[in-house]
Amino acid sequence: MKKLVALFMMTAAVTVAAKSFAAPPADTLAEVKKKGVLVAGVKDSLPPFGYIDEKTRTIIGYDIDFVNAIAKKLGVKVELKPVTSASRMPQLQEGNIDMIAATMTKNPERAKQIDFSHTYFFTGQKFITKKGSVTALKDLEGKRIGTAKGSTSEQNVKKALPTATVLSFDDYPQAFLALQQGKVQAVTTDEAILAGILAKSPNKAQFEIPNVQLSDEPYGLGMRKGDKNFVDFVNKTILEMEKSGEAKKIFEKWFGATTDFHLQRNFKITADK
Amino acid sequence: MLSYTFDWSVITSGQYHDWLVSGLKVTLQLSLAGIILSFLLGLIVAVMRMSHLKLFRWSACVFLEFTRNTPLLVQIFFWYFGSYKLLPTAVNEWLNNTGFEFAAGLIALTIYTSAFIAEDIRSGVLSIPKEQMEAAQSSGFSYLRSMQYIILPQAVRITIPPLVNQFLNLAKNSSLAMTIGVMELTYQARQVESYTFKGFEAFTAATLVYLAISVVITFLVDQYNDRVLKIHKGA
Repeated sequence: MKKLVALFMMTAAVTVAAKSFAAPPADTLAEVKKKGVLVAGVKDSLPPFGYIDEKTRTIIGYDIDFVNAIAKKLGVKVELKPVTSASRMPQLQEGNIDMIAATMTKNPERAKQIDFSHTYFFTGQKFITKKGSVTALKDLEGKRIGTAKGSTSEQNVKKALPTATVLSFDDYPQAFLALQQGKVQAVTTDEAILAGILAKSPNKAQFEIPNVQLSDEPYGLGMRKGDKNFVDFVNKTILEMEKSGEAKKIFEKWFGATTDFHLQRNFKITADK
Repeated sequence: MLSYTFDWSVITSGQYHDWLVSGLKVTLQLSLAGIILSFLLGLIVAVMRMSHLKLFRWSACVFLEFTRNTPLLVQIFFWYFGSYKLLPTAVNEWLNNTGFEFAAGLIALTIYTSAFIAEDIRSGVLSIPKEQMEAAQSSGFSYLRSMQYIILPQAVRITIPPLVNQFLNLAKNSSLAMTIGVMELTYQARQVESYTFKGFEAFTAATLVYLAISVVITFLVDQYNDRVLKIHKGA
């Protein structure tokens, strides 16, 4: 038994060593074509971006549909690997995955480490309000706005609306209850959270998430730094998807009127400046 | 290990200092109003609790058991969120526009503390020999007037030490009002922490301020004992 364990440990050690010594491919595009499989790091517990389908036990979602489209264009199969926000960049840099499709916000710090595609999903900090009460940010000046204590949302809204009274509750459900009772005129945080709250709300017909945005959260597909061929290919592909309407279709499938989220697509995939 | 460097400038001047000061003001307002109101309500409930009328006695009993035996946090939520269903729309709208958070916090603190105060006062009254009540009533005082002129003045004196406890509790419990968005001292200290990551400084300051408030309350009541009631320690 002891020998078996030792053998197993050795095998594991060798595998790990081999993996960490294997340099990631310089030209992922050629490599993926050769292997015949595109390995993508995705979220597996974040509906509707990436989560496990109860029936089929496979990972599905908005991010996955983009991966599938890119693989189809390449003529290769797809292999999905669940990643976390903390693990996705090391995984990519070590060559364990070929690209990241995991709700990753593009920001300058990250762009120093990896290359991003054009923005394929755009979200940000928004508000949930009584229907028809808010159409622009200035409608909220001097109003009472609920949020959760210590969140970045709280700080953003104070900066953007210095005349508003910000009431910070312990968590978002309480803030939403205050909104239902008219104690605040809006609740603010990331749109995905708001959409989730709204989806669960029993009287959701009375509320909406107006197209008013406080901070930008552009999501990009992540690829290894300097992997130009692959980045160009991915960018070309998603621009084509926008043109053909496929990208819009994917958005509607996961976020549109037939879903619980009822989000409006306020962005188009365009080439970054 | 101790790599944290204290930076007191964060809280001695500037915006964050102002936040803490404004929080202190709210805490003082809440505590002061709460002490006065809960004392008055406590007196009334104590007298009702000892009344000969069953209706008064029973309703006071229900009130006491209910408020003493439910958590203050739940009561705060009850007054802030729960009252919504009980009140007409116009009242709700008026409340929402006038900053109901403070009022809801004050109501909850007052009612919660008054139950304890009522029981303290009752125990003070019970320690007055019942012959005094009999003597007062046979001299022509009504029940209420005997209470007012004979019994309560003596009972309150005896009750002062436990009352100070309740006042101190109230001042510290006022920090729970931050859960419904009342921007009192603890709320602002937390706020400063989330903006500056200088939580140690902010909470040290808040702690010292709470300590100071408590010391002042104790001192004032002691002075009242000495000067007004002429109760001298050890006498």
